[in-house]
Amino acid sequence: MAGLTFAGVQKKYGEIAALRGLDLEVRDGELLTLLGPSGSGKSTVLRVTAGLEDVTAGTVHIGSRDVTNVAPAKRNVSMVFQHYALFPHLSSRENIGFGLRARGVPRAEAARLVGEAAALAGCATLLDRKPYELSGGERQRVALARALARRPDVYLLDEPLSNLDAQLRVETRAELKLLHRRVGTTMVYVTHDQLEALTLGSRVAVLHEGLLQQVGTPEEIYAEPANRFVARFVGSPAMNVLPATLDDGRLRAGPFDFEPRVLAPTGALEVGLRPEHVQLASDETGAPARVEVVESAGNETLIHVTAGDETLVARIAPDARLGVGDVVRLMASPRHVYVFDAETGATLQGLER
Amino acid sequence: MMRDRESRHLALMLAPYLFGIAALIAAPGVITFALSLYEYDLIRSPRFLGLDNFRELVNDEVFRISLRNSLMFMAFAVPMRLPGALALALLVHRRYRGVGSYRTAAYLPSVVPDVAYALLWLWIFNPLYGPLNLVLQELGGPRPQWLTDPLHAQWAIIIMSLFLIGEGFLVALATRRSLPRELYEIAELETARPLYVFGRVTLPLMAPTLLLLLFRDTIFSFQATFVPALIVTEGGPPPYATTYLPLFVYQNAFEYLRYGYAAAATLVMFGVTAAIVFVQYRIVRRWRHAFVV
Repeated sequence: MAGLTFAGVQKKYGEIAALRGLDLEVRDGELLTLLGPSGSGKSTVLRVTAGLEDVTAGTVHIGSRDVTNVAPAKRNVSMVFQHYALFPHLSSRENIGFGLRARGVPRAEAARLVGEAAALAGCATLLDRKPYELSGGERQRVALARALARRPDVYLLDEPLSNLDAQLRVETRAELKLLHRRVGTTMVYVTHDQLEALTLGSRVAVLHEGLLQQVGTPEEIYAEPANRFVARFVGSPAMNVLPATLDDGRLRAGPFDFEPRVLAPTGALEVGLRPEHVQLASDETGAPARVEVVESAGNETLIHVTAGDETLVARIAPDARLGVGDVVRLMASPRHVYVFDAETGATLQGLER
Repeated sequence: MMRDRESRHLALMLAPYLFGIAALIAAPGVITFALSLYEYDLIRSPRFLGLDNFRELVNDEVFRISLRNSLMFMAFAVPMRLPGALALALLVHRRYRGVGSYRTAAYLPSVVPDVAYALLWLWIFNPLYGPLNLVLQELGGPRPQWLTDPLHAQWAIIIMSLFLIGEGFLVALATRRSLPRELYEIAELETARPLYVFGRVTLPLMAPTLLLLLFRDTIFSFQATFVPALIVTEGGPPPYATTYLPLFVYQNAFEYLRYGYAAAATLVMFGVTAAIVFVQYRIVRRWRHAFVV
C-alpha cells in the first residue's frame, strides 16, 4: 500500500501537451477521482502512473519509490480499462488469473486468489463463461476482479463505468465505493462524469487542458470552486455565469444587483449563480424574466429563462405551475453569489460558509 | 422499386466477377473434367478412353515421383513459410524508425514477376559465381550443388519459395495490428513475459487468420513449384528430382500434347489438395472452439 506523488509531470505527444506540469498527491488508501472533460489529460495521468507512457518531465512516486523510469511490470499497479480489455478467448477464470499465472503463482494458490477476487467483485458465478457470453456490467466485474486478484500498491481505473447503462452505473458506483472501503488500497478513478466524481471520491481532482484546476473534497469542489471552469464543470445543470459590473458599490449582473461582500478589484467581472440558488421571488421586487423552456423532472423543475440579453437556468420546486412565455420574478441570495475575474476565470469571492 | 434497382446494381457490379469466374474457373474446370476422359492432341479429334488416363497415371513412375516431390515440397515449405510470415509480421508490427522500409522489403519479393524472380535465383544458386555459395565459402560452410545434386535442387526450390510470403505476411501484419493495444498493456502490467504473451494472447487471437493462411498456403504450395522448376532446375537433376505435379502437367500437355492425360493429372492434383485441406480442417476443428472470439 502506498500513495502517489506527481511532481511537475509533463507529457507531450509531439507538439501537443497532454499534461502541463502536474503536482498532485494521492494519499495512501484514498479513492481520488480525476475529473475532466475529454482531452483534459486525465487518462494520461493514469497511463503515466502505470508506465504505459513516459513522462516528458517531472517525477512520479509510488509511496517513497521513484518509478518515473521504472517498467510497467515493476510498478505494482493494476489497471481497469473503459472497454474492459478482457482477453476474448479466455474464460473469466483465466482472465482473472492471467497475471497470477504469468507471475508463476502455483495453480492451486492462483485458483484460491481468483475465487476471492471474483467474490469481491461479484462475479463468482461467471467464472466459466467467456467475455462474449457476458453483459457489459458482468464484463466490468470480471475486469475489476482481474485487478483485484493480486494486491497492487495502487488501482488505476479509467472510466470503468462509462459503458454501462445509467441504472447499472449508479448501482456499480455504490458497490465500488464499498469495495474500496473493504480493500483499503489507494485508487485513482478517472471519469468525465462530475456526479460520479463527486459521489465516489473521497477527494476530487479537476483537470482541464493538462492543468490541475483544483483538488479537494467533493463538498469543497462544489461549494468553493477555485475558478469558473470548475464552477461550471461541476454541478448539473451548469452554473449560470453572467457578465457583471461594479459601480457605486453595487455588483450588477444581468437582472440582478448585489452588495458585494468584498470589494472586488477593478477589471472585468463575472457573476456565477447555481440554478438552485436562483429562485422565484414571492413579491414584485424580483428581476423580471421570461420563461422559455420548462423541464419537469418529478422531484424538481428546471426553467430556462431570458432576462434582457441573458439566459439563465433555475431549479425550482416542482409544484410551480409555469408555462412557456410566462413572466416570472427571480431573486438570488447574495450569500450564494460567486464572483469571477472575467479575464483569468479565478474565483474572487466564493460562497459564504 | 428500391429493391429492384438495388438488385440490378448488385448484378451489374457482380457481373465482371461472375463472368471471370465462369470463363476462367468454372468453364476450364468442366472442360478439364471432360478432357480427362479423352485422348486429345489438338490435331486428331478427341477419342473417348473412359478411365484409361487415370489407370495409366497410377502406373506412371514419373507421375508418382512428381506427386511425391510435390507432397515433400508441401511438407517442408508450408511449415516454414507460415511461421516465417508470422515472424516477419511480428517483427515489424510496431511503429519505429524505418519500419516502413522493412515492411516493404518483406513484401517486395512477392511482387517481382515469377520469371524474373526465378532468373534471379538461377544466378544466386550458380555454384561458380553465385553469391550464395560465395558467402557459404567465406563462412567455411558447405557448397551445395544447387542445380546438379537432386537433394540440393529440391532444397533450392523450397528456399526460393520461402521469400514469396508477402501476402501471408500482409494478412498476418494486418491481423496483429488489429488486436487491441489494451490487451497488451494489461499483459505488460501483469508482468507477463514476451513468450507467455505470444503463446497466451497473440497466437490464440491470431489463430483464425493463421488457420486460413495455412489452408491457403497448402493449396498454393502445390502450384508454387511450377516456375522455379521450369526455369531454374528444369525438372532435373535426373531422375526427375524437381519434377512436380504442375511441371508434369505442363510437360504432358504442352510438350507431349497429351491434353487428356494432363487433365487427368490435374484432377488428381486437385483431389489430393482437397483431401489434405479437408484433413487439416478436421484436425483444427477439434480445438478451434478454443479460439472463438
